[in-house]
Amino acid sequence: MADRVHNEPAAVRWALIATALLFVGLLLFVPLAAVFTEALSKGLSAYVSALTEPDALSAIRLTLLTAGIAVPLNLLFGLAAAWAIAKFEFTGKQILITLIDLPFAVSPVISGLIYVLLFGLQGWLGPWLAAHDIKLLFAVPGLVLATIFVTVPFVARELIPLMQEQGTEEEEAAMVLGASGFQTFRRVTLPNIKWGLLYGVILCNARAMGEFGAVSVVSGHIRGLTNTLPLHVEILYNEYDFAAAFAVASLLALLALLTLVLKSVVEWKALQQRESATRTAGEGPLP
Amino acid sequence: MSIEIDGITKRFGNFLALDDVSLKIPTGELVALLGPSGSGKTSLLRIIAGLELPDHGSILFHGEDATARTARDRQVGFVFQHYALFRHLTVFENIAFGLRVRPRHLRLSRAEIDEKVHALLQLVQLDWLARHYPSQLSGGQRQRVALARALAVEPKVLLLDEPFGALDAKVRLELRRWLRRLHDDLHVTSVFVTHDQEEALEVADRVVVMNAGRIEQVGTAEEVYEQPVNPFVYHFLGSVNLFHGRVHGGRARIGAVELDAPEHAEVTDAPAVGYVRPHDIEVDRTARDPAAIAATVENIRSVGPVVRLELLRQDGGGRIEAELSRERYRELIFQKGERVFIKFRNLRVFLKDMKP
Repeated sequence: MADRVHNEPAAVRWALIATALLFVGLLLFVPLAAVFTEALSKGLSAYVSALTEPDALSAIRLTLLTAGIAVPLNLLFGLAAAWAIAKFEFTGKQILITLIDLPFAVSPVISGLIYVLLFGLQGWLGPWLAAHDIKLLFAVPGLVLATIFVTVPFVARELIPLMQEQGTEEEEAAMVLGASGFQTFRRVTLPNIKWGLLYGVILCNARAMGEFGAVSVVSGHIRGLTNTLPLHVEILYNEYDFAAAFAVASLLALLALLTLVLKSVVEWKALQQRESATRTAGEGPLP
Repeated sequence: MSIEIDGITKRFGNFLALDDVSLKIPTGELVALLGPSGSGKTSLLRIIAGLELPDHGSILFHGEDATARTARDRQVGFVFQHYALFRHLTVFENIAFGLRVRPRHLRLSRAEIDEKVHALLQLVQLDWLARHYPSQLSGGQRQRVALARALAVEPKVLLLDEPFGALDAKVRLELRRWLRRLHDDLHVTSVFVTHDQEEALEVADRVVVMNAGRIEQVGTAEEVYEQPVNPFVYHFLGSVNLFHGRVHGGRARIGAVELDAPEHAEVTDAPAVGYVRPHDIEVDRTARDPAAIAATVENIRSVGPVVRLELLRQDGGGRIEAELSRERYRELIFQKGERVFIKFRNLRVFLKDMKP
């Protein structure tokens, strides 16, 4: 801040800064440090073996698979929904926006429970599914469905304001110049939203891999089959295998750190793009 | 290519944007759609471009019905009010866009595209900015890039939405003269939307005055300015003085003064309003004519080549604005509060039920 408006005494300023740092430290850094300390408390070899035993590997594989399906699908859905909402006028637009927000409003456990009520043996579709020998609950498809539901809003929420702000003029210009719908999307719309899109995907991925509540309800906790990483951590913890639980948890913590770094980079890039787009005309060379 | 607009009606919800509008634009003409905001001029332009679909009516290009054609297939050039340049592409790539998205069998070779874009850059005098991005350009430069981009696809029709609306006064003046010259060179049928009457009168071959979704008058700049068909056109094109009175058998009575109004010969005693432009008012110290109206000078303002007088009618009929040339004013030199007589050089009388 070039021109300082506040004139509090130094002591007050330092006290405020110290309080903020104390809270951040207690709530964020200490737990993070604890995760890694606990994970390595029985030595590096125990850490490695906790991550490489078959159940852990299968949990890693399942988590990657679930996110690998849920994230691309939500990328497509988010793009389509944001495109429709930002670029077109239609009846029911508000309802669609509300529906997209629904997963944020509902507790993840309830989201999972809905699937149990729908697809469980006593549920509406359960008997039909059982009769056709389709297993959704307590199997991979159920995990994927629950994850998709919980992560629906991320991409769409990120893109809607961005696309609304950009308006439809550039797309109209492309159309008048003879571009097809797909050409318009690929050459005009996509380049304008790419950083926002990537940002949404990163958040969506972090949530898909870290989701616990909804997945926990539909998983059935079958070791080596329907356990994702967060569920695996819970099982290990409940079995008092703390070092292994924290070792697996440290993977998720690393994922979180990586997400934060990527998020910051993308945010910075997106800001740069927006700034270059809104820079005023006066700065350019004059004729 | 000629454009024919036939009975176009367009609603946005409850708002009637265009009400059964018909208009013919011959090949090679430069036409201005002039009107206040909400008059439907931009909607009409977008319907011609295919960016908006009419509820009724049709658009004919060169006699062929184009109403069902998409914007992509209409081969029009469109210059947007805020330019709508592709912000992630350089000036060069912006102009090349329309050439690059053509289907493969119609696409020019890379070298031909290069050559064509450079020719267009020269046409708009911006070849030195080819590698710049739109955000690095001034408003006038962006406008010219937008125009070059629209011309790249060799449109049969050029449509411009408030082409100079976002520019400052000086750039605006330069650009509109430049556009006029460009049109004289290229002779592509062009339609531009504006709310600025001066711009319309200066640039266009013909001016289409619009109001509340209808066309009020079509004519050359001179016609719409000198012979407005109704009070709205009179009001919209320049400032005007109103004189309330009555007409009866071809004579108009304003205050104590009677004047000829031959166009209302059949009217028997009806309320009417006389319209006079400020520069059509003669001001003098002596009443040389019995039809002169007495007034006092309230204010004198000198604006460039003209001097504006604010006058107060002595018969209680309100204020009048008169405009004198600087030379004429020098001969007279009025003082504030002085008593003068005014006469109309050109008065148009409309019956009172014709609301502006």
